[in-house]
Amino acid sequence: MTERERRGEPASLAERRGLETRVYQPAEDSGLLAKAAVERVSGLVLEVGTGSGWVAETVARETGARVIASDVNPHACRQARARAEGADERGGSVEVVRADLLTPFRGGTFDAVLFNPPYLPTDPENEWDDWMEAALSGGETGRKLIEPFLDDVGRVLAPDGVVLLLVSSLSGFDEVVARAERRGFAAETVVEESYPFESLSVLLLRR
Amino acid sequence: MKESLMDIICCPMDKHDLELEVDDRNDEEVLAGTLVCTECGERYPIEDGIPNLLPPDMRD
Repeated sequence: MTERERRGEPASLAERRGLETRVYQPAEDSGLLAKAAVERVSGLVLEVGTGSGWVAETVARETGARVIASDVNPHACRQARARAEGADERGGSVEVVRADLLTPFRGGTFDAVLFNPPYLPTDPENEWDDWMEAALSGGETGRKLIEPFLDDVGRVLAPDGVVLLLVSSLSGFDEVVARAERRGFAAETVVEESYPFESLSVLLLRR
Repeated sequence: MKESLMDIICCPMDKHDLELEVDDRNDEEVLAGTLVCTECGERYPIEDGIPNLLPPDMRD
């Protein structure tokens, strides 16, 4: 029995899913983002919210890009760093930074920014009490992290830089596109897959 | 962290340059040390090769 259950509270998302409780592991969404990225990015790449580091490592290994992988979660940072050691076969590399979204990155820096955000709409009373919940929950709308990301990502892009953003129908596809367009981006869907409870898209954003 | 990361990162609070203080390093990278903002003086630790650039109110 978990501490929350002893207190008579509902189980967290991670407990309900019965999964690893600290670091998000690669899933369908990770695969779609990696597929979109491997075909399109090169140079200096940032992956925000890298989790296990699988997307960052895949992109570095397949494209030879220098990938900066960031996460707010210290356990994710350590896993991503351990995984990064396999990334240098084709001259690619992964370097890990613990960060809150885009805040510690210089303006005009990246050729591409990748983000598979936490996007599950979550009851506001279901507070974030473990790292897995932080990796999954996008607040009441599902867009709690997507919106500040879109508001700041233009700052860190190099002049011809692009963004690849994974979007679930659960967090409002049209709302995400509208926010990106308000921030001066043109949005194009480059990958799309339907699943029983959601459809997942990868948006390519350019200015 | 590799020293070349200094061209990519900045202070998360005010976006000014950081200065690197090295406590431990190997041939490839800095394993332990501190990143100090040249403007506000905030200090960000590097532990086990990973710089922690969270704003101070988000640190553990």
